[in-house]
Amino acid sequence: MAKTYDYLFKLLLIGDSGVGKTSILFRFSEDAFNISFISTIGIDFKIRTIDLDGKKVKLQIWDTAGQERFRTITTAYYRGSMGIMLVYDVTNEKSFENIKNWIRNIEENASADVEKMILGNKCDLDAKRQVSKERGEQLAIEYQIKFVETSAKDSLNVEYAFYTLARDIKAKMEKKQEASNPPGARSGAHQLRANEQQRKPTSWLSRCSVL
Amino acid sequence: MDKPAEMSQKDYVEDGQNKLIIKCKFCGSKILDKKSAKYIMQEKELPFMQQDTRKGGEVQIETINQFYHVENMYTFENIGFTHTVANHKYLSCADCYAGPLGYYEIDTKHSYVALTRVEHC
Ligand SMILES: Nc1nc2c(ncn2[C@@H]2O[C@H](COP(=O)(O)OP(=O)(O)OP(=O)(O)O)[C@@H](O)[C@H]2O)c(=O)[nH]1
Ligand SMILES: [Mg+2]
Ligand SMILES: [Zn+2]
Repeated sequence: MAKTYDYLFKLLLIGDSGVGKTSILFRFSEDAFNISFISTIGIDFKIRTIDLDGKKVKLQIWDTAGQERFRTITTAYYRGSMGIMLVYDVTNEKSFENIKNWIRNIEENASADVEKMILGNKCDLDAKRQVSKERGEQLAIEYQIKFVETSAKDSLNVEYAFYTLARDIKAKMEKKQEASNPPGARSGAHQLRANEQQRKPTSWLSRCSVL
Repeated sequence: MDKPAEMSQKDYVEDGQNKLIIKCKFCGSKILDKKSAKYIMQEKELPFMQQDTRKGGEVQIETINQFYHVENMYTFENIGFTHTVANHKYLSCADCYAGPLGYYEIDTKHSYVALTRVEHC
């Protein structure tokens, strides 16, 4: 069957337990009584299709399990990922301080040119806030990473964050293509196939055993 | 005569494929484009979407026999994959957790979507 998309990006959500990674990935639900079969097993990843400047982009977004600590997330985990959302909780100082540890972990284990973005989640909980927006912005400037405060609860900036990260990856990819191929002799589909070959060895069976 | 849970083929299948766009029954999230999956008949047990917690820890299941077969996971518009259970992952709506809408086979990397668990538009 012919390829029905232009780009495929693998994204990862990372951050301390309880910051809201799973809530960001799914539509927020506080209905604890709605015990669906799915929520008891938990979601590994999802595929979303978005339109970016006329291109059809498939996002494969991986959640990370709560017990996971930056010490235990290693190369195998990051393999193939092109974008990482670093999430902290604005009502939890510790989760903010740990962003630096997460970044160090990414630098040690992920591919050097992975796109990153910092999300300060739960910004709807202003009364409980421990980390000001300014401190988030400051950290982002320090690392030269994009930053936005989000609320999974109010669906605030969540879409924006994924589109922004995806757009940055796409821009980086197109730049690389231009650098390595003379104009005219290239196509998005071409590049995509090359990437898929690369990703093959990381069958997500092997990834699952890591989880 | 069709079994009660069976859906009329001619309304949903054309040239062996899904004639219509497939969406989530609960939130309308788009799952598959029209004509992107093969219609197949096979008997398979799937857990119910809502589990009655009063019945203890046992998972309540039903047999389903009509599926859309998706060979490449990137054919999906929007879909969620659960953690692995035995030899497969369950499929869920990418937006609202509804599911299992079907399952994904680890060995073959193929996905199967139950006709009765999705909306045809
Ligand atoms: N008020 C508010 N609560 C949130 C928000 N996002 C998540 N929560 C709540 O925070 C708690 C933890 O959210 P999760 O999404 O499970 O956090 P997680 O990062 O996936 O946690 P682990 O899976 O343990 O790593 C839940 O009770 C959510 O309801 C938000 O934006 N606002
Ligand atoms: Mg989680
Ligand atoms: Zn849904």
